[in-house]
Amino acid sequence: MVTSKYKQFLTISLFMLPALILLLVFWFIPMIVSLFISFTDWDYISPTFSLVGLENYSSLLTDKEFYKVLVNTLVFAVFTVLPTMAIGLALALTLNKKIAGSTFYKAIIFSPWVTPMVAVSIVWSWIFQPEVGILNFLLSSVGLPKIDWLGSSTWAMPAVIMVTVWKGIGWVMIFYLEALQRVPADLYESAAIDGAAKWRRFRYVTLPMISPTTFFLLIITTIDALQAYDQIQVLTQGGPAGSTRTLLYMYYQLAFEQFNMGQATAVSTLLVLITALLSVIQFWASKRWVHY
Amino acid sequence: MDEVVATAKYETPQVQTKEAPTFLQIVKKTARHILLILFSVITAFPFLWMLVSAIKTTDEIWKFPPSFWPAEPQWQNFIEAWNSAPFGLYMFNSLFTATAIVLFQIFSAAMMAYALTQFRFKGQKFLFASILAIYMLPAASTYVPSYVILSKLNMLDSYQGMIISNAVSVFGIFFIRQAFMQVPKEMVEAAKVDGASHWTILWKVLLPMTKSSFLTFSLISFVQMFNNYLWPSLILKSQDKYLITMGLRQFFIEGGAYGIKWPLVMAANVFAVVPLLLLFFVAQKWFIKGINDRGVKG
Repeated sequence: MVTSKYKQFLTISLFMLPALILLLVFWFIPMIVSLFISFTDWDYISPTFSLVGLENYSSLLTDKEFYKVLVNTLVFAVFTVLPTMAIGLALALTLNKKIAGSTFYKAIIFSPWVTPMVAVSIVWSWIFQPEVGILNFLLSSVGLPKIDWLGSSTWAMPAVIMVTVWKGIGWVMIFYLEALQRVPADLYESAAIDGAAKWRRFRYVTLPMISPTTFFLLIITTIDALQAYDQIQVLTQGGPAGSTRTLLYMYYQLAFEQFNMGQATAVSTLLVLITALLSVIQFWASKRWVHY
Repeated sequence: MDEVVATAKYETPQVQTKEAPTFLQIVKKTARHILLILFSVITAFPFLWMLVSAIKTTDEIWKFPPSFWPAEPQWQNFIEAWNSAPFGLYMFNSLFTATAIVLFQIFSAAMMAYALTQFRFKGQKFLFASILAIYMLPAASTYVPSYVILSKLNMLDSYQGMIISNAVSVFGIFFIRQAFMQVPKEMVEAAKVDGASHWTILWKVLLPMTKSSFLTFSLISFVQMFNNYLWPSLILKSQDKYLITMGLRQFFIEGGAYGIKWPLVMAANVFAVVPLLLLFFVAQKWFIKGINDRGVKG
């Protein structure tokens, strides 16, 4: 009996071992070590460091630049998430009815999701080209002035947002489509089908039924927006004048350009806290909300 | 004809939806198509623009107003671009590491999912909750220590380092666990009665029954690894280890910024983008299944 229990323990351990070791080495331990580094003044190059308590955090929180980055992150997240969700839902509603070629439409609109952000950002940087770019050509052909998209601190952020929304709409659309298909059909049939009733049906039947999905997508796309890096690196490198510097980009610059590991990990701790908070809210809500 | 139908409908409204479409319905349907076509064009345009820009001459690409189709398509731009940087090597690096990573991820995730679904043990809930906790957290927050760990293991700037640091996928563990929970208990019990070992049950009973989940996970993870940029750009430093994403950005900085080689930069992008688009159009339904089964992050 004892040996069979021991054998069972050994079997379970062996099955868990590959994933567990990797999770420990590249996830759990780094998370804890990262938190620890944020209380030090380590600069990566020197072998020694000293504990500085909360200094990294307090210097961040008193730095004007940090608040600018925080606002950038917030602006980027809000103006990426809201259009992505709204357009994704609109397209899903349009595709939810029987319509010829729906598979084709779905495939096209979803396709940017599979392509490398680095590559498509390079393509977009050509589209944004100020003198001969196609976007400015379109603007000038309707009589609007040309915009120095990536070179102006006003327009760089909208440009980065545009690329991000373009890449993410299809994903939200597919997610919503699935949710719409799970709305029980009899709920629809009980409602009359004249024009005004249609809007009411959407407002009082469809929208509440898919609200858990909306909430889930809201949190997930926000968490995702907080982790945006590739498009910023290719399009603007955080510029001009720091106008597209987000928390994650600041973390990258502090850690891997300036080797200020203490302050970098302090930024990452804050990022983790924000993300954790959002996840906990989602987790808590999903337990209380029935998904359809 | 329309009139007759309309009259018939007026008298029997309950069969309205089964009749031929009214004028209003046709208008609505057309409006829906216009909206969808508009969005499809907006979505596909950057890809088309990449293609036509790739086959223009440098003079032509700098013309304003821009022409859509080049006067004389410069197909040799693709060959020239391919030879201007070691793109063959970059492609190999990406394909090789992404494939190896996916295989490792399948192995580690399937083993862990088996332990989580087929056994009951102390600390199981805690373990699962811990994995759940890191699922959402930004991977970037592990990069500083992970970088140090890799350098201690002497694996910076190597395929091994790239592969091993990605060899576990939290999403994979979830996804495979979910799939295993759908398999009827009787199947596993029957195999046990036949004297099958756990190892055999995992790979000969559960895997064949959840093939589609494995396929979906492999495709999604492959695409994500092929497109990966931030972490590889931190740990792979010598140019002969560059992934295609890193090679593209390098080529972009050297060739694109001063506008000399824009057509070649676009041609190089085609190498990275088109294979993925083709893969997606062939294997569409598996990608979409991955989203519908929950959990793939954007």
